[in-house]
Amino acid sequence: MIGKEDAFKVLDRVLSYGEGVDIAAHLTSEDISLTRYARNQIHQNLRRENCHLTVTAVKGKKVGAASTNLLDERSLRWVVEQAKESMELAQEDPDLPPLFRAEPAAPINTYVPYTAQMTPSERALGCGAVISAAQKEGILASGTYSTLVRETVVANTPGTRAYNVATEAFFKTVVESGDNTGYADRLVRDARDIDYDQVAREAVERALLFDEPVDLKPGRYDTIFLEYAVADLIRFLGYVAFSAAAKQRGTSFMATKMGQKVMGDNVTMWDDGMDTRGFASPFDAEGVPREKVVFIDKGVATGVVYDTRTAAKDGVTSTGHATSVLGRSQPMPHNMFMATGDSSLEDMILSTEKGVLVTRFHYTHCPEPMRVVATGTTRDGTFLIEDGQLVARVHNLRFTESMLDAFSNVEAISKDARVVKDWWSTFISVFPAVKIKDFNFTGSTTF
Amino acid sequence: MLELEKVLGIAQKLGAEYADARYVSTKAEPIFLESDGASSVSTSKSTGVGLRVLVDGAWGFASTPNLNERSLGQLAKEAVEIASASAMYKKGEGTSLDPLPSINVKYKTPVKVDPFSVKAEEKLEYLNDALSEVKGMPDISRARASMISYTEEKVFLSTDGRKISQNLTYTGAGISVTARGPNDAQSRSFDDYASSGYEFVLDLDLKTKIQDLAREARELLNAPVCPEGVTDLVMGGSMTALQIHESCGHPVELDRVMGWETTYAGTSFLTPEKKGTFRYGSPEVHIVADATIPEGLGSFGYDDEGIEAQRTDLIVDGIFQDYLTSRELAPMFDQESNGSMRAVGWENLPMIRMTNINLEPGDWTLDEIIRDTQDGIFVDTPKSWSLDDKRLNFHFGQEIAFEIKDGSLGRMLKNSAYTGMTPEFWRSCDAVAGKDEWKVWGTPGCAKGEPVQVIHVGHGASPARFRNIKVGVEE
Repeated sequence: MIGKEDAFKVLDRVLSYGEGVDIAAHLTSEDISLTRYARNQIHQNLRRENCHLTVTAVKGKKVGAASTNLLDERSLRWVVEQAKESMELAQEDPDLPPLFRAEPAAPINTYVPYTAQMTPSERALGCGAVISAAQKEGILASGTYSTLVRETVVANTPGTRAYNVATEAFFKTVVESGDNTGYADRLVRDARDIDYDQVAREAVERALLFDEPVDLKPGRYDTIFLEYAVADLIRFLGYVAFSAAAKQRGTSFMATKMGQKVMGDNVTMWDDGMDTRGFASPFDAEGVPREKVVFIDKGVATGVVYDTRTAAKDGVTSTGHATSVLGRSQPMPHNMFMATGDSSLEDMILSTEKGVLVTRFHYTHCPEPMRVVATGTTRDGTFLIEDGQLVARVHNLRFTESMLDAFSNVEAISKDARVVKDWWSTFISVFPAVKIKDFNFTGSTTF
Repeated sequence: MLELEKVLGIAQKLGAEYADARYVSTKAEPIFLESDGASSVSTSKSTGVGLRVLVDGAWGFASTPNLNERSLGQLAKEAVEIASASAMYKKGEGTSLDPLPSINVKYKTPVKVDPFSVKAEEKLEYLNDALSEVKGMPDISRARASMISYTEEKVFLSTDGRKISQNLTYTGAGISVTARGPNDAQSRSFDDYASSGYEFVLDLDLKTKIQDLAREARELLNAPVCPEGVTDLVMGGSMTALQIHESCGHPVELDRVMGWETTYAGTSFLTPEKKGTFRYGSPEVHIVADATIPEGLGSFGYDDEGIEAQRTDLIVDGIFQDYLTSRELAPMFDQESNGSMRAVGWENLPMIRMTNINLEPGDWTLDEIIRDTQDGIFVDTPKSWSLDDKRLNFHFGQEIAFEIKDGSLGRMLKNSAYTGMTPEFWRSCDAVAGKDEWKVWGTPGCAKGEPVQVIHVGHGASPARFRNIKVGVEE
């Protein structure tokens, strides 16, 4: 860890080398420790520390950038000179907003010393709890236990100064009983909040539920999605639709349907970077404090997230969702939520005459962004429901469905929500479990 | 070199049975240009050391950008501590490596024009020339051009006495055009990358290509959607390359077969008993891993375990023959590593990765394949890709498609996609175009591992035909 005081010393030096050119400096420092186990043995185990300093130089309508992972004097001078050189080469960009002083963000406590100081042996013991649980059943456990400390520091010559340090602990496992698998994970700021035995129980029970999987004919089924799976469904909306850049380019339904009904009355989705029920972080890559943005309000399209560049284009202010300085990459949601309902997983299953329960997805993609048509396959526990009960495990299924259609057909939403990552790890979000009527499965994995 | 030797020495003193260290210093210059004038020119550098140790039969890895003596000593201590924790859960005696003979060698990517010797102004002008072809064109809402110049200095030392210095370079460029109608937006794109110098970028001729792409993007707005059905599928070379990547390259990674990627990238249907006997594809299908091809984006001199780049037959006459392997896993088949362990940068540990995975050329031409097809579709340029966790069930979307009727290309179709199961699909391959239409496509964004490592690989491919494939699979 660099520490707040030393980090600002570095950035102050960087700003001082601007010499008449506006400079924005963005520094991240990451310390990742990660243990992976496969089939009951640890096979990869590492610690990786690095930092990334990006310097953006701005003069008039020209901008250039450079980055380095070294913070010695020579490297700092090089990175500023390189950014200025790139700026001189750049074409004039008529839409380039000026650098400005962002208001200070309200501080949030996102750092837990215990997580930051975990040892390799402590991580191994966590993994060992799942391995032991699997061994007791004569089956195999694989998984990953990672802890992360990330500092983010922003400063620019107009006067922005922002610092945050955060921890993350992610513990996940896939348990294999022959070809049948079960999954469970926990994602927290404080590693002490992970109950290893509970994670092991969840994954082992799911792997042992039913023997041989049955074939399920592709078609439309009432489908219950655990929170893990909901993360992948809403990822598509976050990735291709909820950014102002997609709206402005006309590649998102938000370009033509703002203010219109696009989903069911029971669906509300928003982003709130300050809500610590999720993985809050107080400011974006431009140092702008994060604002709450409602994307879908009772089924109506209501908003998208902005950085300073896209905000200037629409004549609004940034919502604090920049992923780079002055829009070299598009603004993105950061800490998404979906409103909970009044159901439970048990109630959803009980109310299903014939349907499917999906634990999670693998390698999903979006072949048609305008209608947010998505595809992907289920994994680690897909079950057939008949007459209100789980009755069999089914072979993994491929879905191909418009997310606008899917979220127009939400029949039930759980009253609880939890912190989840999608398979791609694009977002960390807080989502409930949902039941969707007539969800479209287009194929099955049988071989 | 001296510092790396010291680090290895400290690791051995602390109990490492084996250790290797990599010093890597990378430099990248990405350039992006938009038709509305926005441009991004930037340069990035990253330098550091990664250390891998084997202690009590278990692995530990640590990396740091701090290259002073104290930090490197600490690095060795940490790697050994991590490996000792790994040993708490190992199978049997754990891992051991057969020793290798010592070597002291150098390798450099053959380059005619060093891409860093070309001024950024010249690169911007080249991209701007291409974009100027479509500026102001009706319906075109966005056009983008990009270029990457990348170089890497790498020094590898192991306690086996392997001393390897490499200087690896690659370049590439791309263009994309989006046409926007009242209720639709359609994009066309082209990009390619190679282990080569600036000469490769100039040969891409983006100025000519972007005109065709813009015309096609506009036509796609009014094109019918690809109908659903089962029909013959003819793929252009870029689509064949991605099909090879996803449904051949990944399944043959032996670490996936052994469950090492279960929690993220997934496993493989290609279980060990299939080696040497399993019919993966039709007799037309011959797939090799070849890290020695000139200009291949997956070419290098030595992998990150110090094994020389080589060519390996993976699928011969449709029969599965071999995996991509490592020093640790190859002995399970009484084999030596075929040099497939690669790491991204200094900060990551090496894993089994693709090199250049190629479908060897056949003896058809694309024209002959189309003339020989009564009813089908021709698809090209990947738009989306999705596979299950065993690499069996796949779904690929494309930017553009055309009907094939009675041996001729017909209407343009949009939003095309096809789906299938890997072995059934490759067994249906009955025509592969020949050398004249075969090239190595650079794929710069292959993701695997935790923390995720995005590596560059290559795929030799030409147009090919697959019979009775399910297409247009949306609903």
